[in-house]
Amino acid sequence: MSNRYSFSLTTFSSSGKLGQIEYALAAVAQGVTAIGIKAANGVVIATEKKTPSFLVDETTLTKVASISKNIGMVYAGMGPDARLLLDKARKSAQEYKRTYCEEPPTLMLVKEVASVMQEYTQSGGVRPFGVSLLIAGIDETGPMLYQVDPSGSYWAWKASAIGKNMINAKTFLEKRYSSTMEIEDAVHTAILTLKEGIEGQISETNIEIGIAQQIETTNRDGELVKVGVFRSLSNAEIKDYLTNIA
Amino acid sequence: MPLDLSFLDLKPAAARFMPASVLAPLDGPLEHDAIATFDLAPVSNPTEFIHNQMSKDAEHRIHMAKGTTTLAFKFAKGVVVAVDSRATMGPYIGSSNVKKVIEINPFLLGTMAGSAADCQYWERVLGTRARLYELRNKERISVAAASKLLCNMVYGYKGMGLSMGTMVTGWDKKGPGLYYVDSDGQRLTNHLFSVGSGSTYAYGVLDAGYDYDLSVADAIDLARRSIFHATYRDAYSGGSVNVYHVKEGGWEFISKTDVFDLHYEYQDQPRPALV
Amino acid sequence: MEYNGSAIIAMTGKNCVAIAADRRFGVQALTLGMDFQKIFRVTDRTYIGLSGLATDVTTLNERFRYKVNMYRLNEEREIGTKTFAHMVSSSQYEKRQAIPEFPWRFGPYFVEPVIAGLEKDNTPFICSMDTIGCINYAKDFVVAGTATEQLYGVCESFWEPDLEPEDLFETISQALLNAMDRDALSGWGGIVHVITPTGVITRTLKGRMD
Repeated sequence: MSNRYSFSLTTFSSSGKLGQIEYALAAVAQGVTAIGIKAANGVVIATEKKTPSFLVDETTLTKVASISKNIGMVYAGMGPDARLLLDKARKSAQEYKRTYCEEPPTLMLVKEVASVMQEYTQSGGVRPFGVSLLIAGIDETGPMLYQVDPSGSYWAWKASAIGKNMINAKTFLEKRYSSTMEIEDAVHTAILTLKEGIEGQISETNIEIGIAQQIETTNRDGELVKVGVFRSLSNAEIKDYLTNIA
Repeated sequence: MPLDLSFLDLKPAAARFMPASVLAPLDGPLEHDAIATFDLAPVSNPTEFIHNQMSKDAEHRIHMAKGTTTLAFKFAKGVVVAVDSRATMGPYIGSSNVKKVIEINPFLLGTMAGSAADCQYWERVLGTRARLYELRNKERISVAAASKLLCNMVYGYKGMGLSMGTMVTGWDKKGPGLYYVDSDGQRLTNHLFSVGSGSTYAYGVLDAGYDYDLSVADAIDLARRSIFHATYRDAYSGGSVNVYHVKEGGWEFISKTDVFDLHYEYQDQPRPALV
Repeated sequence: MEYNGSAIIAMTGKNCVAIAADRRFGVQALTLGMDFQKIFRVTDRTYIGLSGLATDVTTLNERFRYKVNMYRLNEEREIGTKTFAHMVSSSQYEKRQAIPEFPWRFGPYFVEPVIAGLEKDNTPFICSMDTIGCINYAKDFVVAGTATEQLYGVCESFWEPDLEPEDLFETISQALLNAMDRDALSGWGGIVHVITPTGVITRTLKGRMD
């Protein structure tokens, strides 16, 4: 009996549109801006960190998160929805690593997350996710930046922006982007893009930055090898970048 | 509690378990110098004891080499004997050059299947007894008598772990002789025998090609082919084929052929027509 | 392992690897076939040898082929040798124990896999596994089957580092042939694959048929 009421909320309108997905995108468009830039030797993702009141302890807020050793993500839209996706993405990455003893390639993880998001547009008793994701990773094919939307569709970008200020940010990125740009330049560009749309003064406490790049380490056999690593920048590191810009 | 030393009275132990026919067989008063006796395990029931020692779950199990193909058949021109030369210990091949035809004396041959040691030992004993018989009776022992001696000797140890399946062949007054004797005490005579794990394969070829009036060359070839096909299908047979021919004037060693060469020789030949 | 019998080796050379197996299909002492396939192509530079229960050899080959095809379609690339080895290991461990509630989901596959191939940078990779997927990595050679002891013996004395493809072929062939001569349950001819960056050399060996 209960099945009768658990049909999917995402149903086609007579004009062939899925209203719920458009509303979900509207929810994303109200979210705090996040951007991503692919450089020649890495990827950077960055976001504003907005609190509803200055009484909130913003040091506990994080929007940039790592999924696996070499992949990270940032979202625009509803925080709780993003956390569920993050959890599923992390589990999927671990599952992959357990079977192949190898970090998942960025694309495989994106496909996994996208398929979860698609499932929530067609299943009974659920609503689509109110988030768009920017997933940044580095693997043997090189640095990659993907955007995943509530519909479950995904694209690879050279640079992209999601959230409230996405139109302006994209216009800004279109002007500033260069394919030969290296990771340091990309971080600068990301900060400048955020700076354009931010309300008030930009500081290391109200933005977050994550980068994926290759680093050299020694493996178990003591050989020097290059591995892809994703990490969030510390406040001190962000502060250094900000002073360089100013 | 006093120690039970009753087992000390068992010597010569085997005698207790031997039928009278073994102790006083064909040659009357001299039996003590011809008969072999063994110390048995100092327990109340040696048969059961040895049985446990050889069971699959015994901690120190007695292993024995098994896996063989041997054959012999009588025909108009005597007896042909052929054997493989593989010795296995489980799946491990211990040797590929074992002599499985035991030359008891110039007129008697024995074959080896089952435990190599048992066959070698008892057929050597048979050799001494056959020689004693000759000295006493001024004539050679018959194949029938020799095989019966062997049969009676091993019967005395029935159930104590002996393992042998042997064919005793030779030439006596009655012409070619062929007997099958095994450690269960069975003794049979027939025109044709094959013994061992590969015997079924050998019988297949042998039965298809056997004829009492076969020429010597054809008989030898048939015997060799039978053993070869057994080595081909049976994992526990292989190495070389040894062939002997027993004639009126005693046996003759014919050949030793590596089955590797035989395989590539036979491979190029047309298949024999169905009988 | 002793039910059907087998002998499989993999060896490394200089920018090449070789994998070899016997061709017997038998049921205990009875030899039924002399052209049984125990080594399977996974990709152009990865081969797997499966030693053990023949029915599981066939089934596992089909399962791995399915998995590798799915991997290729999902990931839009060929699976690497080491990655494949871990995939095999995971698949084997999945069946470690029979599940009492589901008796038809029987215990492990009675197969010891041997994997040989070249990595993306042409470095040789070989490994062997037990029936439940514990990987044994080696830089020289790995063996499996009923002739394991014999194979280790001959490999220890025949193998040397940095063999060129033709020398590696000779070494692995002699190792296989000589080991099989001391094992009743394997033999009846052999097959050798030498994997090089430019292609795979496959040859069958004429062996003792006993």
